[in-house]
Amino acid sequence: MNQSQEYEKLSFEEAMTELESVVNKLDAGEGTLDESISLFQKGVLLSKLCSSRLEEIEKRVRILTEDTNGTKKEIDFNEDGITSIEKE
Amino acid sequence: MSAVFSVSDLNQYVGEVLAADPVLTAVRVRGEISGFKKYPSGHLYFSLKDKESQVNCVAFRGNAAHFSFVPENGMSVVVTARASLYDRDGRFQLVVYEMEKDGVGDLFAAFERLKVKLEAEGLFDTSHKKAIPKLPRRIGVVTSPKGAVISDIIHVLSRRFPNFDLLIYPSAVQGQTAAGEIRKGVEWFNRTDIVDVIIIARGGGSMEDLWCFNDEALARTIYESNIPLISAVGHETDFTICDFVSDLRAPTPSAAAELVMPEKSELLSGINARTDRLTRALLHLVAIRKNHLMFLSRSKALLSPLRRVESESQRLDMLSLKLTHSLNRRMDSSARRIDKGIARLDALSPLKVLSRGYSLATNPATGSCITSIAQVTPGQAVQIQLADGLVHCKAETIQAGRIL
Repeated sequence: MNQSQEYEKLSFEEAMTELESVVNKLDAGEGTLDESISLFQKGVLLSKLCSSRLEEIEKRVRILTEDTNGTKKEIDFNEDGITSIEKE
Repeated sequence: MSAVFSVSDLNQYVGEVLAADPVLTAVRVRGEISGFKKYPSGHLYFSLKDKESQVNCVAFRGNAAHFSFVPENGMSVVVTARASLYDRDGRFQLVVYEMEKDGVGDLFAAFERLKVKLEAEGLFDTSHKKAIPKLPRRIGVVTSPKGAVISDIIHVLSRRFPNFDLLIYPSAVQGQTAAGEIRKGVEWFNRTDIVDVIIIARGGGSMEDLWCFNDEALARTIYESNIPLISAVGHETDFTICDFVSDLRAPTPSAAAELVMPEKSELLSGINARTDRLTRALLHLVAIRKNHLMFLSRSKALLSPLRRVESESQRLDMLSLKLTHSLNRRMDSSARRIDKGIARLDALSPLKVLSRGYSLATNPATGSCITSIAQVTPGQAVQIQLADGLVHCKAETIQAGRIL
């Protein structure tokens, strides 16, 4: 079953739209019990995916600086104007 | 002999002459402010001067309140005023009702010209505007890293979606170099393609302060951006060329943060609601089928397969009971966290049923479930699905009748 791999590529927006359509299909109640159960499983996968999309954004506030060669680098930004340790 | 005036009469007469003069009732005068005083009453007193002369001016509170800037000594301005005579001192003065910085008229004309030109070229077309993503994984901001604007944005984002990801491209936002720096920022974000949306932000200011956002080259860069762009320049009432050409105009930087990031709690309850509907829909379908089976089981024509029907019915009862339990638990505490809800739903998955020792037989050729011996012939391949994998079998003999 490659469904979950296929879903992995979906953005939050796409997964949410897909979930909505799965719920609507299941709500319509057509098809066999097998089909309904497989829809339900799809829905559970999508629902999990939606919530994981919300969590996978890493909390960061960074600012670009330029080193002596003029290459841009990201460093942590803090509002006092003091920027902390550099990260590659 | 001509009549002799009293001083009061004279001043009154001169006042009337001035008031009746069509030029002097709405005259525009350019000059430099000196001797500026603001009285507690709110009235402003000052002189306008040029190299040779000066004239006294007063701006009453009602008019002064509408000036777009605070006048200062040494400022070069253009006032619109009427001439009058201050009766008590017999002093000629201008009563100012409008004031603009010298040169602003030119700026405004330049702004209008550029706006008309770019509009005609289609740079403001709605059809070209890109949709702002619902959940940007990373947000790029071109702004000054100092001051209230960036803290406002960070504050609003933290409130709406605590784990937001923001990348600041520091740039001047007023002065000669600003337009070029902002343009480089937009170009850099497009080249690196590491953000889902770009915000150009600056706090309020005078028309001169915001002038860099009326730059033609910047407007074209924004138009060509492949990444959706929000313009958040100045206050509600300030409009710049950037606002027209961007994909979305936010009235303030804080508003841009509101527009760009949804509230996490709202998204979570949206997912929650859909997951609830999913469970309820399945539960409903199972209930319908159960009723249908009950009905069939009472039919005499189906007496012989009755036991099978009963056991199917029992299986459905169990499934339905589990679903009901799960649903009830969800209903009892609707505020419960979504991830817990999902874990429970997961427990209903056939995979979990498998892990309790049940197995699923399928026909590998068709992929369909085998629910009856009628679907199997001796020698045929049968696939048994267990929780952790598949067993590929071959049917040896087939025996009718119930075993359990």
